[in-house]
This record gives sequence, structure tokens and C-alpha cells, in this order.
Amino acid sequence: MIAFFSSIAAVLVLSGCSAEQFSRGYLPGVPGVTNHTDRIAGLWTTAWIVLWIVGIIAWALMFWAIIVYRRRRGETGMPVQLRYNNPIEVMFTVVPLIITIGFFAFTARDTAAIEAPVANSDVEISIIAKQWSWDFNYVDSNVYYSGVQSQFAGETGSEATLPTLYLPVGKSIKVELSSRDVIHSFWVIDFLYKKDMFPGKTNYMYFTPQVEGTYKGKCAELCGEFHSMMLFNVKVVSQAEYDAQMAALAAAGNVGQLDGRYDRNQNLPGSNPEIRG
Amino acid sequence: MSTGYAQKTSGRGYKKPKGQVIVEWLTTTDHKKIGYLYLITSFLYFMIAGVMALVIRAQLAAPGLEIVQTKEQYNQLFTMHGTIMLLMFATPLFAAFANILMPVQIGAPDVAFPRLNAIAYWFYFFGSLVAVAGFFTPQGAASFGWFAYAPLSNTTFSPGLGGDLWVFGLALSGFGTILGGVNFITTILTMRAPGMTMFRMPIFTWNTLVTSILVIMAFPPFAAALFALGADRRFGAHIFDPENGGAMLWQHLFWFFGHPEVYILALPFFGIVSEIFPVFSRKPIFGYKTLVYATIAIAALSMTVWAHHMYVTGSVLLPFFAFTTLLIAVPTGVKIFNWIGTMWKGSVTFETPMLYALGFLTTFIFGGLTGVILASPALDFHLSDSYFVVAHFHYVVFGTVVFAMFAGIFFWYPKMTGKMLNERLGKIQFWLLFFGFHITFLIQHWLGVIGMPRRYATYLPEDGFTWMNQVSTLGSVLLAVSMIPFLWNVYITARKGEKTTLNDPWGFGRSLEWATGTPFPRHNFTSIPIVRSESPAFDLNHPEYASAEARAALEKKS
Repeated sequence: MIAFFSSIAAVLVLSGCSAEQFSRGYLPGVPGVTNHTDRIAGLWTTAWIVLWIVGIIAWALMFWAIIVYRRRRGETGMPVQLRYNNPIEVMFTVVPLIITIGFFAFTARDTAAIEAPVANSDVEISIIAKQWSWDFNYVDSNVYYSGVQSQFAGETGSEATLPTLYLPVGKSIKVELSSRDVIHSFWVIDFLYKKDMFPGKTNYMYFTPQVEGTYKGKCAELCGEFHSMMLFNVKVVSQAEYDAQMAALAAAGNVGQLDGRYDRNQNLPGSNPEIRG
Repeated sequence: MSTGYAQKTSGRGYKKPKGQVIVEWLTTTDHKKIGYLYLITSFLYFMIAGVMALVIRAQLAAPGLEIVQTKEQYNQLFTMHGTIMLLMFATPLFAAFANILMPVQIGAPDVAFPRLNAIAYWFYFFGSLVAVAGFFTPQGAASFGWFAYAPLSNTTFSPGLGGDLWVFGLALSGFGTILGGVNFITTILTMRAPGMTMFRMPIFTWNTLVTSILVIMAFPPFAAALFALGADRRFGAHIFDPENGGAMLWQHLFWFFGHPEVYILALPFFGIVSEIFPVFSRKPIFGYKTLVYATIAIAALSMTVWAHHMYVTGSVLLPFFAFTTLLIAVPTGVKIFNWIGTMWKGSVTFETPMLYALGFLTTFIFGGLTGVILASPALDFHLSDSYFVVAHFHYVVFGTVVFAMFAGIFFWYPKMTGKMLNERLGKIQFWLLFFGFHITFLIQHWLGVIGMPRRYATYLPEDGFTWMNQVSTLGSVLLAVSMIPFLWNVYITARKGEKTTLNDPWGFGRSLEWATGTPFPRHNFTSIPIVRSESPAFDLNHPEYASAEARAALEKKS
């Protein structure tokens, strides 16, 4: 029990307990990375404050009971054989119920806001996952980038060579997610959001990146042997730099879109032109 | 039984021929012996999967390590670690404790179907052997994770024989679990001793009943899904093809089993600590009926929350599953406060079983808090499939199963063997285990928050995961070391431990197992004890504290 609290303290000290990190509940990234992250950070910190209060009350009651009511040396006899106490039992049923319903209300509000589709997004991107990398289709610019699996073995410097997705800052983005083999999951860590990528089914996510920078992305659903190598970077850049990247892709001949024709699952609807209805 | 034989067995130094002992164990239909078989087998699997966990932790001790030769082998290790821990250790451990204790706690001579009981064990035994036999095939064991998501688990992406053995082995073992559940329900409903009304049953027996009901609701869909996956793999069926929506179908079927399974693991162990708190607080369980209703509520809700494992699939009704999941926190909180209420105004001592029960409570409270966080889709989108989830479920599952298992083993060891385990070694083990566990898993919450996905064989130095992984790996070594005092304890107790013949060696036992011989007599009781409350053994040994009704019944009998 002492271990528990001392290790919490150790983590707080060692992780460089700055005030800003603390106020965001140690979530990664900076405030406002996307239009959703502050909302998530707010729910996260509020939830933890309430939960720590509940948890500390529970732990305190437990330690209080075992310390105050410990059997003293030489003590004999038996305590009163108390079997129940209705008011207390009603209290510890009703109070958690109220807290739970309250938390649900905020959760439902924030979840709906994050998941809400945005009509007429500024930029549309279609991402296809594959064992073990990513294809990025820039739909509006009609160019694509086909990633290859990264290779690394503990050395520094390989992160810069990962497949990179470019996004223009301040523009609303619609991302279409699918897969051409097994289930993967698209997770940009600082965006505090991930969504699964299925073969034979399209998922969507909507957000607006607000801070320029490079962000780490990882596949979050077990997808076979090199799951841990299925990494990427996201670069949120100015519109001018974004346009330059699109032009560079077009100049390299990456014109057009990669679609489901390389799907390794046979007989997907629409994947074979000859059996398309 | 001839008198000559009885004299022989009671004579000092007499040993049955080895062959006879082996045949007795192989052919037994005695619920206690089957329980011991379950206990020993599941503990062996606990050790095996624990060693796998150590290899996993070693692999993650620094970026780019190759402790195992290929990442495929790493995937096999965590797949089989999860599979073994859940389905070959924790689930059969429920069958172990239920078999050993439940019939005694209700005053029955055996379970309702003793031979069905035996075949259930052997299904488990051979099914588990089949599933782990994958390690001896050329391509190794299953590597698609313990939840075997389609289409990764089909033969296009996981062609090895190990996957087939996993599917059919678990199906066979699952039938053992279902048969066990049927047996326990029947036994509890039909074989209670006179006076043992439903609301006088010990909490452990109640939890066995509720768990068994969950088993017969959750395991049949799982067995069906496994056969369907087996048909896909071996006979070219197309049940889980992505074009049929098979990827989502598998997830729904799997988690419709998988979430109740978590409570199948938890409830019996809640039952164990509910037996232990009263004995070492010298008070009855606080709010008996509330506790029973809370158990029933948890079980009922647990059937309605499965898709909270699937928030990030984009295909489930988020508010519904968030609400039902959050609601589970209420009956769970009721249980926690009932356990604390049991100690409140009591007279608490800290023998090893009680230490483990308190270790469980401390750990489980934190697992409950992180569970509330994960129940919220808005927060789960970030945390899903990260080490935060790994940390959370180890807090709830390890915190419950392993802490309560040791609590139960220390608590009932005298009833099982006639000897008390060494308290000093038990306490050393407890503190090693407690520190080892928290050092290993507490830090994994932060690892998940800063972005480490689960099931990663390695990571980049730039990720900043290194020092936290090293702390976790160090903790896992301490956790492994904590098994040494336990194994030594079992060995030294068998060699030199003092025999005890007291019916109730702890002195304040409450349920019926403390009113019969130590170790248990062959058919549990020589006469039917009087049951007038939920604490018949306590009434018998401390009649001055018994209710008027119980006292009158006791006096009438004497």
C-alpha cells in the first residue's frame, strides 16, 4: 500500500511534473492540437479529479477501519455482530449512482461532439492500411503516397524516415479509413483519437489540426508480425507547404488514387470488376 | 471398506503403491479431488504463462531488443500468455475453488453429477494441452492475440497449425467449463442441507451460482463462434469473411462471451474475499443481502456491456454501451463499501489470508477507477488498445484472481491438507508480490497515456517509452521472485508443517466448512449440521453470539 503511493509520487517527480502537464492530466501534446483535444483533456481531468476523490475516500475508509478497529494485543471477546445498516447502504448506492449519471451526461455530450460528421470538409483524405504500412490518398489533389514498412532495431534516427501524412493547418479534415487485409487502427497520439480500419468497411474521422508540427502515429490494432513497425508521422504544415508537398507528389508521378483493387481478401463487393453487379 | 485396509492407511509410514495413487487420481469423481486437480493444473499454467510474461517484459526492456528471435514469436507469447491466463488458469481456478468448497458450504456430500464433474475436468485438461501444443508445431502457437480478430485469424493471414489447435483446443476446454457450470447450478439448487435457505448460503456459494449462470450464458456462443472459425480455417467456410461483415460479427460474438468472462473471473474471487473479511474481522459480512443483489446486478449488467471493447470500431451505439458500463460501477462500489463495512467496528487481525484480501481491495479500487475512465468513449478513443488498457485489466484481473487465489489458498489450506502454511513466509511473499505487482503495472497507465500501443514487440528510442518499460520489467522480476517463498512454503509445509485437527483452525470461521473435520472427511460430514443463519459454524462455536433461533436449535439438539 505504501508502494502504491510512493510509486505514484515517483512517477510524478520523474516525469517532470510541470504545471502545464499537470493541468492537462499528463496527456501528450500541447493544448489545441486539434479542435477536439481540449474537450477531451477537460473531460479527462474532471473525471480524474472526481475519481481520485472517490478513490481516496474508499482507501481512507479502508485504512481507517483496519487501523482503528484492529484487534489489540491481549484483546479477547467479540465485537458487536453488526449485520447491516440501511441508511449507510442506501447512501453508498445512491451517491455513486448520481455521480455515474452525471459523468455519463458529460461523456455523452463530448462523445457526440467528437464523432459528429462535418459536412463539406476543406480537405478530404483517404487512408488505406496494409500489412504493415499506409497508403495516403489526397483526394482533392488527386495524388497519393504509398508507404513502405519501416525498419528499425533500436537505433535513433529512423523516426524521420517513416511514411508521412501532410495536413494543412486550420483546415477541417475528413479522413476516410479502410484496410486491404486485416483490421488496423489509425492512432495519432497527440490527437487523442484513434479509429479502426476494416477491410470491406469504411470508417470516417473529422477534425481540424490547429498547431503546426510533427506528430507520432501508430497502428493500434494487432495486425500480424510487424504490427509494431507500422508507424507513421503526421506533419501539420502551412497551406503553402502543403501545396508544395502535393505538387512534389504529382511531379514524382503519384497521380491518381490507390483503391481497393489490391485487397488481399477475395470477393469483396466491388473489388473485382468482372463480378461487380 | 475392510477394517484391515483402514488400519493400514491410518498406520504411520504406510504408503499406498504409486500405481494405486495414480489410478485414484485419474479415476476420481470426488469433488474435492477434482478440485485439487483443477487447482494444481491451473497453478501450473499460471507459472507457465508467468514465465511467458517475463520473456515479454525482457523483450520490452529496451528499444530494438531481440530476446525472442522473431516478432512472430513475440506475438505467440502474448497470445498464449493471455489465452492461458484467462482460460487455462483463471477460469479453471474458479472451478477449483467451487469444487473444493461449494458442496461443503451447502452441506452436501458431493456435487450433483460427480462423473460429469470428472469429464469436465478432463475436457479442460486435454483441451488446454491441445491449445498449447501449438508451440510444438513448425510455425509455432497461435499468434493472432487472445481475441483472435477476423480476418487476422483466418488461414490467409495466420496459416499455421497452431491457430487450428488454439481454436479446437479452446472449444473442447470450453465445453468442460459449460459442464462445470451446469453441475454447480444443479448442486446449489437441489443439494442444500436442511435449513440452508438461499439467503443463508455463504457469499462464495452465491457467487459460484451467479458465475455458473454467466458461464452457461457466455460460453456456448463462444464455443459456437470457435467452431465457426474452425470451419472457416479447415473446411473453407466463409462465416467471418470481411465481405459478409464477418470482421464485426466475430468481434460481437467474441465480446459477448469476452465481457461476461471477465466477471466469470472476478465474481468467484469476490466470493473468496467475502468469506475472509468476516473471519478476520470477527463480524458477519456487512449487508449480506445488498452484497447478493449487487452480485446479481453486476452479472446482469455484464451481459449488456460487451461492445465497450469496440468503441473504436465506429459500428456500435456508443451512448448505450457507455451507460450500461458506467452503471456497473454502482454495484461494484456497493461491494467495496460492504467489505469495508465488514471490517468497520470489527476486531481486525492480519493473518496472511486477510493481508491478501486487503491487497486485493487496495488494488481493485484503482482498477475500478480506471475502468470508469475507459467506459467513456470520448476518453477511450485515445486509450483503447494502449498500455493503459493493459494496466487496467491487470489491476482488475490480477488484483482479483491472483490476490484472492493466494488469500483462498492460505485460508483453506488446512481444510485441504490438514496443515497450516507458514505465516512468516506467507507475509514475505505477500509484500514481494504486492510491490512487484504495483511496480510492474502502475507505470503502464502512463505508458499508455503517452502513446504506447499494446502488443508492440518493440518501440523507437524517440518514443520516450524506455525508462517506464524498464521500471515495469524490474517490477516483473520482483513479481516472479515472490513465487519462490510460496513454492518453498508449500514444500516445507508438506515436509515439516504441523498437523492441525481443529475443525476451525482460524477460530472465527463462519460457514459450514469450518464445522467439519480437518482435512475434509471423505463425504464432507459425519452428521448434518444445524443451519439457522448464514454463519452456522460460528453459531456452533460461539453460541453466545448466535441469534436466539440458532441458539434454541443448537440447545435442542444437544
